[in-house]
Amino acid sequence: MKSDISTIKSTDISMQRSVFWQPRPAWIAMGLAAILVLFPMTQNDYWIVQLTQLMVYGIFAMSLSLVWGYGGILCFGHAVYFGMGAYIYTLIVKGMIPGFSGILATSIAGLLTAVLCVSLFAVVVGYFLFYGRLKGPYLGIVTLAIAVIAERIAVDWYYIGGYNGLFSIPPFSVAGYEFITPIALFYFVLASSAIAYLLLTHIVQSPFGAILRAIRDNEARAESFGYNSAQHKIITFAIGAAVAALSGALFAIVTEFVSPTLIGFGLSTEVLIWVALGGKEVILASFLGALLVRTLETYLSELMAYYWILFLGVFFVAAVILFPKGIFGRWLSD
Amino acid sequence: MTDLIIQLLSAMNFVLVLIMVAMGLMIIFGLMNVINMAHGEFFLLGAYTVVMTNRLGIGFWPALVLAPLTVGFIGMLIEYICIRHLYHRPLDTILATWGVSLAIKQLIIIIFGPAGLTVAPPLPQMVTVAGIEYPAYRVFIMAIALIIIAVTFYIFLKTDFGLGARAVIANRDMAATLGINTRRMYRTTFAFGSALAGLAGAVMAPVMSCDPQMGLGFFIPAFLSILVGGTGTLYGVLAGGAIVGGGDSLLSFHFSPVAAQVVIFSLAIFLIRIRPQGLLGSKKP
Repeated sequence: MKSDISTIKSTDISMQRSVFWQPRPAWIAMGLAAILVLFPMTQNDYWIVQLTQLMVYGIFAMSLSLVWGYGGILCFGHAVYFGMGAYIYTLIVKGMIPGFSGILATSIAGLLTAVLCVSLFAVVVGYFLFYGRLKGPYLGIVTLAIAVIAERIAVDWYYIGGYNGLFSIPPFSVAGYEFITPIALFYFVLASSAIAYLLLTHIVQSPFGAILRAIRDNEARAESFGYNSAQHKIITFAIGAAVAALSGALFAIVTEFVSPTLIGFGLSTEVLIWVALGGKEVILASFLGALLVRTLETYLSELMAYYWILFLGVFFVAAVILFPKGIFGRWLSD
Repeated sequence: MTDLIIQLLSAMNFVLVLIMVAMGLMIIFGLMNVINMAHGEFFLLGAYTVVMTNRLGIGFWPALVLAPLTVGFIGMLIEYICIRHLYHRPLDTILATWGVSLAIKQLIIIIFGPAGLTVAPPLPQMVTVAGIEYPAYRVFIMAIALIIIAVTFYIFLKTDFGLGARAVIANRDMAATLGINTRRMYRTTFAFGSALAGLAGAVMAPVMSCDPQMGLGFFIPAFLSILVGGTGTLYGVLAGGAIVGGGDSLLSFHFSPVAAQVVIFSLAIFLIRIRPQGLLGSKKP
């Protein structure tokens, strides 16, 4: 609708960029992967556990990058998928869902069911949102409301642990091998991050990703070329939800505990900050954004106590105004 | 019968205050295309103004004047510092105002602590309404909300400022070419909308527990009211506020607050699916 000069220009530039693809982010991703693979050799268990958790958040951030940065879907409730993934995985491996026993209660089955159920849920939600033609800010608030309600349901639902959440989740095991040591968990999560990264970059570089960018930049134009924008958004939403559910299940595996804070407003907005600060339009930048903000939080929240969130809020406003493409986004995409 | 009247009165209470908050949000959104995520925090600031005046020992009543003034001024400041840099990319304003809301909430936690605070009721006596005893202060809330809603309608439908504002809502660029100073109008509007939220917070402070999270409890229903009622018309907010606020309040009585939220929210989503422009909306979202 708004086709002033500035939006047309930015569209053209981003189109050029996707044609002349530059290999730099791929090299940086490989360098990062090498550092992460070698990391456990140099550090003690404490840092390995820390980094494992950071990578879980990194996967979560990458899933939002696809939905928001490429799909143009401003989602203020992305943690709903993260939390649902964590809860469904936990309920299944703890054998708390009637009918799920034996092979259906194994770790792998839990992981797959969590991812599948959550993406189906996203399809249903997406059907109402995107065929209802909700856009931009409207979409943001509606997803925000979903997150708030989901959190309240989780708190009130006694069977899934209520306010206290669920504890003592059995370790992840494949064919008798249990991932218990920090190193085993670290490499398991690292491999999952690599798979998620490759999957998401493959999607955004494929023709499907090009259509997504076209819809994001100018929906009316994309539709006049015959692309069903609602359908593309629903698919993107579902893929994003699936990856978020994977990261949620990984969180449950790594920390062995889930609680209603995972599903609600707080985490939803935190991930939004990571992705916005990192750079929403580059998958790798979002991953790095999560790592950076969480690391800063570990150091600064001890140092600054209550003032940390105040600082984060003000810093976030400044970054939105001054760096619309994020801190790493500009550097990684140029 | 008595129960029913009490429920209806409480529902009306909530609806009227909700409409006050939602009108501010709607005016800001309609005029500036800015979803003010910090709107709930303006409500919060209004409530804490009352806490502040109570601590200073000047009681509740000065806060009714102080709250809209303070919050309106803070709104103007926020517009000047951050929002005006973002008018050319409206989607980013939602992020920026959300960062502002985070900062305000934390500032309140730093100053007043995270726990809920209560304010002594300024009108402890009871009055008889429709044959039953009802707190006088609740009646006062309804009266003040009705007056504010009427004044807002008057400003937007009868004054020159309102005419200009409606012109901007209908077609921003056209209004600008006709010589309306849209930038100044944005600032005034933002301050006005903030002041409405601040006043709503102040009148609600004595009947709620003031805690730093209270803003969200009004922001989400207020936004849903706009969504249900439709943007672009003030009447839409009345209809939306009545449906969302009334439904939420009555369902909470009969079932639980969570069930009420889930039902109202699902209904809202369903309504958007079949009628995207809202009940009375003229503009497509």
